[in-house]
Amino acid sequence: MKRIIYLLAAALLSLTAAHAEQGVSSEQLGLSKTNVRDAPAPPLYTFSTQFPGTSQRLPRAYPGAPPQIPHNIDMFVPIKMGANQCLGCHNNPALWGQPLVQGIPTPIPKSHYTDLRNAPDKLTNQLIGSRYVCVQCHTPQANAQPLVANTFGR
Amino acid sequence: MNLTRRDFVKSSIAASAAATVGIPISLAAQEAVKEVEAGWQWDKGACRFCGTGCGIMIATKDGKIVATKGDPDAPVNRGLNCVKGYFNGKIMYGKDRLTQPLLRMTGGKFDKKGKFYPISWERAFDEMEKHCKAALKEKGPTGVAIFGSGQYTVPEGYVAAKFMKAGLRSNNIDPNARHCMASAVAAFIQTFGIDEPAGCYDDIEVTDTAVLWGANMAEMHPILYSRIADRRLSHPDMKVINLSTFSNMSSGIADTEILFAPSGDLAIQNYIAREIIKRDAVDHDFVKQHCVFATGPYDIGYGMRATSDYAFDAEKDTQINEVRHKLSKNEAIAQRREEGEVVEQKNTATAGKHWLIDFEEFKRGLEPYTLDFVAEVAKGDPDEPIEKFKQKLKVLADLYADPKRKIVSFWTMGFNQHQRGTWVNEQMYMNHLLMGKQCKPGNGAFSLTGQPSACGTAREVGVFAHRLPADMVVNNPQHREHAEHIWKVPARTVNPKVGSHITKLMRDLEDGSVKFAWVAVNNPFQATANANHWIKGAREMDNFIVCADGYPGISAKVADLILPAAMIFEKWGLYGNAERRTQAWRQQVAPPGQAMGDFWQVLEFAKRFKIKEVWGEAPIPGLKAEGFEDGKLPDIIQDAVAMGYSPDDTLYDVLFARPEFKKQFPWPDPVAKGHANHVAEALGDGWFPEKAMFEEYASFGRGHAHDLAEFDTYYRDDVRGLRWPVVDGKETRWRFNAEYDPYVKNGPIEFYGKAMKALPSGNLDGVINAEKTSLAGKAKIFFRPYADPVEMPDDRYPLWLVTGRVLEHWHSGTMTRRVPELHRSVPEALIYMHPKDAEGLGLQRTDLAWVESRRGKIQARVETQGRNGMPRGSIYVPWFDEGVFINRVTLDATCPISKQIDFKKCAVKVYKA
Repeated sequence: MKRIIYLLAAALLSLTAAHAEQGVSSEQLGLSKTNVRDAPAPPLYTFSTQFPGTSQRLPRAYPGAPPQIPHNIDMFVPIKMGANQCLGCHNNPALWGQPLVQGIPTPIPKSHYTDLRNAPDKLTNQLIGSRYVCVQCHTPQANAQPLVANTFGR
Repeated sequence: MNLTRRDFVKSSIAASAAATVGIPISLAAQEAVKEVEAGWQWDKGACRFCGTGCGIMIATKDGKIVATKGDPDAPVNRGLNCVKGYFNGKIMYGKDRLTQPLLRMTGGKFDKKGKFYPISWERAFDEMEKHCKAALKEKGPTGVAIFGSGQYTVPEGYVAAKFMKAGLRSNNIDPNARHCMASAVAAFIQTFGIDEPAGCYDDIEVTDTAVLWGANMAEMHPILYSRIADRRLSHPDMKVINLSTFSNMSSGIADTEILFAPSGDLAIQNYIAREIIKRDAVDHDFVKQHCVFATGPYDIGYGMRATSDYAFDAEKDTQINEVRHKLSKNEAIAQRREEGEVVEQKNTATAGKHWLIDFEEFKRGLEPYTLDFVAEVAKGDPDEPIEKFKQKLKVLADLYADPKRKIVSFWTMGFNQHQRGTWVNEQMYMNHLLMGKQCKPGNGAFSLTGQPSACGTAREVGVFAHRLPADMVVNNPQHREHAEHIWKVPARTVNPKVGSHITKLMRDLEDGSVKFAWVAVNNPFQATANANHWIKGAREMDNFIVCADGYPGISAKVADLILPAAMIFEKWGLYGNAERRTQAWRQQVAPPGQAMGDFWQVLEFAKRFKIKEVWGEAPIPGLKAEGFEDGKLPDIIQDAVAMGYSPDDTLYDVLFARPEFKKQFPWPDPVAKGHANHVAEALGDGWFPEKAMFEEYASFGRGHAHDLAEFDTYYRDDVRGLRWPVVDGKETRWRFNAEYDPYVKNGPIEFYGKAMKALPSGNLDGVINAEKTSLAGKAKIFFRPYADPVEMPDDRYPLWLVTGRVLEHWHSGTMTRRVPELHRSVPEALIYMHPKDAEGLGLQRTDLAWVESRRGKIQARVETQGRNGMPRGSIYVPWFDEGVFINRVTLDATCPISKQIDFKKCAVKVYKA
């Protein structure tokens, strides 16, 4: 049902011939289909409660985009000095070059073990400090439908 | 196939893990790269989002952007991006892009109460012309306004400012950057006489200490934070301190987290200064040779309206403080007064005035700021034992006062969005200057900026109500003359009276003094505090509001005319980041539908004004300036004729498409390397307008310590931006330092900025000797006292409200919320609160609650865990979500000197919905 509402909203927004005749009210514009004076009750979104290893990998947004997190991370954040629990599973160079298997953590890639600022040609055996705060690029994803469709990559 | 490493990096992305670092990958993988990237064309660009200014690479195919990645050659970010940085391409492809002008109409005629109907550009400009000219006729140049942006490209900001200041003779152009770094600017000008940081990001890799003061860099400047994290993890002596009013992600790698009460930073800085002096750690040679001491008045108000005529009944008890304020016990001690004394706010209009004091007076000002007093004022977590808090303050003072330790202080909105924002910025310089830890590698007070071109466009171009390019101001006759000379317009074209800052523009719409307003590259009706007033001003007053945007946000919803704007990589542009680095990109793809660049919109609109229509005598209420009749701008049409112009020439002819530009800067241009330029092509008169305007703009700063390189230089393949001043092709990393800065003539250190460098002198209480002393070449060490926030929690509104951004969304979310991955990361704005506060209110995680202040209320869901750890008594609600319109709740008090709103402090109540 929710999906249908979103699709309808998206359809309303592409200004068709009908709009040329009937016009668009401000309530039909934007991401919140409300009057700017209203204070709507926001919907309830939920994030994955699945433990690591029990969920499906998420598709990348495009080749080279950072993969997003399919499992719950409530217990692993905030990431602190000397306490990066993501590393416990994902810091696993032994898996480099091997096909990804359901249930086996995706290994942090070689790029993250190479100091692009100071020694860009040298692969090290340690995660580079600038990559330490994983959630700057990799974030859990809620069960939220897109507010409007996006045609990137299509 | 014989590729160098660099070539390979640029030509590959599918196997990015290996490819970005040049690690040999299997032939099969290389084949896969080739297949994915077949037909991809890569070009360099700069990130659309924060002031860090990361370099990115953009891939296009068949007229669309297909990928972006961190540019491995960019010194700012070396191949990294934050999560939103990876979506620079995708933000342009939301299904509801605005693709045609929309006007509110009934029966085919403009009607403020009507619905939006698509119209042609021709009709859109007809309507704008009609309403703009009517406003000019009724009110003069102060009746029109532009809400500009720190996200304008450099040329866009320049043409908007030139159109207003040289064309319509109005100074009513002010950017959203006013909300972002005006306090930083005011402090730079008052302290150094010139804007923008002395140091640069290279400081991070050579310092021993990073202190974050009200800068949650892990979320707001993620890539700079990753550089600090790298330094912290690779340099054993590196220390990181995070000061904030709540626990946030930036505490993750910190050695010490200090939670302080709102405005407690003013007291903490004075405690550090007092300690530096008490321990005799002062770098006396540095101070003697390069610094003077100064102070200013305390009775400066809070930047609110002086009248209660427009205030809601509930907010009148806050507003009255603009007129008179009763001192609290803490203020009485901090300001050497009596508790309960009622202070008339006599210096609201002269808040920035200041005078010299001697070192003994300076010390006397600091005397009350003992550890005991400051801990009492500043402790921010009610559950933290006071002794523990004192211990942390001592650790902090130890770091600053250690002469051997290099230290960089970073701040952003915590300092800048502050009712005493200019003061607290100046206090930061106070501590660095006392220790001589300024403008040296690894040592410096570093003001970060929020927006991608708040520095490059808003500040350097001067897209402000009081500014002209290159740090010049409209109320200085020599500066006006210089601008008029470069602009080839008659003497006395430029209006000497400072225009309305962005919050005052909102107030002007509310009280009817502005009748025509144009919003570009920002969303001020969502972004400005106390928004219920401004929505009323937009919708209920007799005015005409134009909003140009890529997507419809709240500002579009309250506008009368919506213009479809080209977005970032649909146009040519340059941005300037927080370390003075100017970076450039080419148009990569065409704008959708009829969307057009903001640059084109201004130039096309300029065609609608003949100089005989706008250069006659015009009223400017309150104008008083030498050479001008009171309240009037003179008729300059005959002067224009004497210069060879015809009264029928348009502002487009005179200000923009000048014959010499067409000759000097023809389009097409080889620098384009085959890339299109929809602006040049639509104008169709054979010139390269962005390049011409950039070069004219750059002529303001060259030779004046703001030197930019030539336009083409920024587009070279081997250039990843340059930090100004660029002299003889070389950028400058540390200003005011003879080793690095060619503008230093009397080394080794010279604070050569020219503004406000002659002052009267006196004591802490006022001026004694009005005769001005020159302080050429020196910086000022200010004494500034602690003052309470104007609105504090009480029985009715018992909680502090702090607002700000989140990592995953940019500003008001109009771009990033249309990227499904980013929307799923943070689908809505939450109320972060302490679990005990929630419990006391009968609330649980995910419950719906109301947040209500004296000014308005919104609903949102409660979060008691997650990235922000709130102390009891304080809540955080980010402002990106138009559905959780938190700026209807916030207070529009500003720093009275900088006029920047304090979005971090007001009182609210929370209750179950």
